[in-house]
Amino acid sequence: MQASEFDEAAFFAAIAASGVRALLIGRRALIALGLPVMTSDYDFWIHADDSAAFNAALAPFGLIPNRSPDEARGIGRYALENDEHVDVVVARGVSTIDGLMVQFSDLWPRRQQLQVAPEITVAAPSLDDLILTKRFGARPRDADDIRMLEDLRRGAAGS
Amino acid sequence: MTKLVPASPQLAARWRAEEERRLPADEFEARIRAPMTDDERALIAWFQRRYPTPAARLAAHRRRELERRRQRRG
Repeated sequence: MQASEFDEAAFFAAIAASGVRALLIGRRALIALGLPVMTSDYDFWIHADDSAAFNAALAPFGLIPNRSPDEARGIGRYALENDEHVDVVVARGVSTIDGLMVQFSDLWPRRQQLQVAPEITVAAPSLDDLILTKRFGARPRDADDIRMLEDLRRGAAGS
Repeated sequence: MTKLVPASPQLAARWRAEEERRLPADEFEARIRAPMTDDERALIAWFQRRYPTPAARLAAHRRRELERRRQRRG
């Protein structure tokens, strides 16, 4: 199968231009912050009211949502797919494995902007909040990612 | 260049199950607390020196991702 011609910078630019409140989470955020991990998808946490706008922004890339906005809000997540895979958390809050409820509305004001191309930025959680999102699951790689993020945080605190 | 041979469906399923399993709390925390090794620190330092900006890092990862996909297609 021929891979789609996917322009990552244009993808981020479309999200930025859409006005959608979207936070890049997952391993793609770790890579941007300087951690050499691998991933095969994009993970975003978006505001619960913004899924229709997010889908519209990514429609020109041939990315098709696998659930309607209403279905997605009911479940709390959905995906957009073609040759690329975009996992989207759309819940207003997600609980960590410790029982702490993390609210998107708390993370959004604390976001950091990462410049991913000339004049193109993507929003990501603060380092502390990114570590919290890695406590949503308890998979081996979540632990590995937290370990590296905490080391990054210690390095940033010492600088 | 060595052609990558895809894992069997059974092996791939076992790997996925292992990657997606939920660790017990004590094992999860112990894995977080494990000290960073010198090799890990060296790799991270190299990555940040070689690709000093988020843009460069994402572009490098994208190139590797595409190469892996090409190798899988053969």
